[in-house]
Amino acid sequence: MNRVQFGEGACEKIRKYLDSYVSNELLVETNHEVLRHLEGCPACSAELEARARLRASLKSAVKSQAVPPELQARVREKIRHQQSRGWRDAGWQRWALATAACVTVAVGLWVTYSREALPALSDRTAQKAYIQRASASLAAVLQVGLGDHIHCSVFRKYPKTPPAANEMQEKLGPAYQGLLPVVRAAMPAGYRIIMAHQCNYAGRQYIHLTLENNGRLLSLVITRRNAGESMEGLPAAGQPSGVSIYQSAAGSYQVAGFEAGDFLAYIVSDLKGKANLLIASSLAPGVREFLRKTAA
Amino acid sequence: MLFSSRRRTSDFEAAAMPHMNDIYRTAVRLLGSSAAADDVVQDVFLQAWKSFGQFQLGTNCRAWLFKILFHTIHHYRRKWMNVRILKDSEEILEHAAAGSPPLPEHITDADVLAALAEVPEEFRAVVLLVDVEEFSYKEAAGIANVPIGTVMSRLSRGRKLLRERLAGLARSYGIGDITEEGQSA
Repeated sequence: MNRVQFGEGACEKIRKYLDSYVSNELLVETNHEVLRHLEGCPACSAELEARARLRASLKSAVKSQAVPPELQARVREKIRHQQSRGWRDAGWQRWALATAACVTVAVGLWVTYSREALPALSDRTAQKAYIQRASASLAAVLQVGLGDHIHCSVFRKYPKTPPAANEMQEKLGPAYQGLLPVVRAAMPAGYRIIMAHQCNYAGRQYIHLTLENNGRLLSLVITRRNAGESMEGLPAAGQPSGVSIYQSAAGSYQVAGFEAGDFLAYIVSDLKGKANLLIASSLAPGVREFLRKTAA
Repeated sequence: MLFSSRRRTSDFEAAAMPHMNDIYRTAVRLLGSSAAADDVVQDVFLQAWKSFGQFQLGTNCRAWLFKILFHTIHHYRRKWMNVRILKDSEEILEHAAAGSPPLPEHITDADVLAALAEVPEEFRAVVLLVDVEEFSYKEAAGIANVPIGTVMSRLSRGRKLLRERLAGLARSYGIGDITEEGQSA
């Protein structure tokens, strides 16, 4: 709002502020001064009257414009259409979300139930049956590695802190304790050895190292080859490090095997096939070289 | 969700729909076409409905709707029309009378509307907002998205142009009874 003092040349000045006066945009004090001037100035009063009349005429003329009676109905219809479209979109989104949720649940259930529940640690019979079922699809020579992994690594409760290095060396024995640095050197970051020992399962002697990374177990299982046992007849997964590696999946397990002179070696885990094969490829050269020296 | 939608509809009906006639009449005067105004008003209210969640109930819904109207018309013109508004305005202002021309004694609504149609749009818009819809300078500035000073100058020029057009119209009709008190002192 504007407050203006009018003095000499008041008519000229007041005309400049008549627009704001007509629009009621002047301060009360300025309004009073304009009014005082208008009382004594017929010319400015006439000008004000003309402007006010024009304003009133304009308002009356514009407001005389007829509004189509159906306009409101058209607007409401357009909004209704938008609403129903919004509901349809929202409905579609709800259905999409519901479908996604169902698919997620279904996949979850499938993963849960396809990964057969483990038997209790004390239930040897159920464990034996579990190993048989899990191994059933594998070639016999690969069943050797999977059986020991499940029996010895999966059906086990681990202490929070892994055994000390010397304890694991002792359990491996002097002939095989040299495996520990070989394995440590070849394993990807994140894996730690949580168990290393010699064990017996299903009438065989094993060298067994178990590694863990974020709750995922991986075993290096080594056993002496029995007469006639060979992996050569199996489809090779590749020779990424110069060693022929054979890999098969059995349920949620991946079993990679390679031959090392008189020994059979296995990398078994519940990782994806590619990850298991990569680790096997990394371990195979060093482990095979170690076993060759051990046999000599 | 259904309840909130019904509530929103009833709020919108109460706050926005009563202003439809004012919006339509302003749109007609700005666009110069009833059919175009009809389309624009539907778009304005649809846009208002979509944005109604952002509108704070109790604040000036009428000014909010007019702001949407101006925004919609701006886009409408850019999309469908090729108007040299600024140049036309400058040309017209160059020929605008320095003083206040006399106002015809008897003027009809049709005369006023015909004269108004000849006032360039940016001046016409401010005249409509302030003189017809009685928005304050501040509100008009917000609606037209210009500074208050621009509102004041456009209003002054717009009123003068309107008066000049009306006087010219009266002369073209051969109307002689023009009030002389409107002459500059």
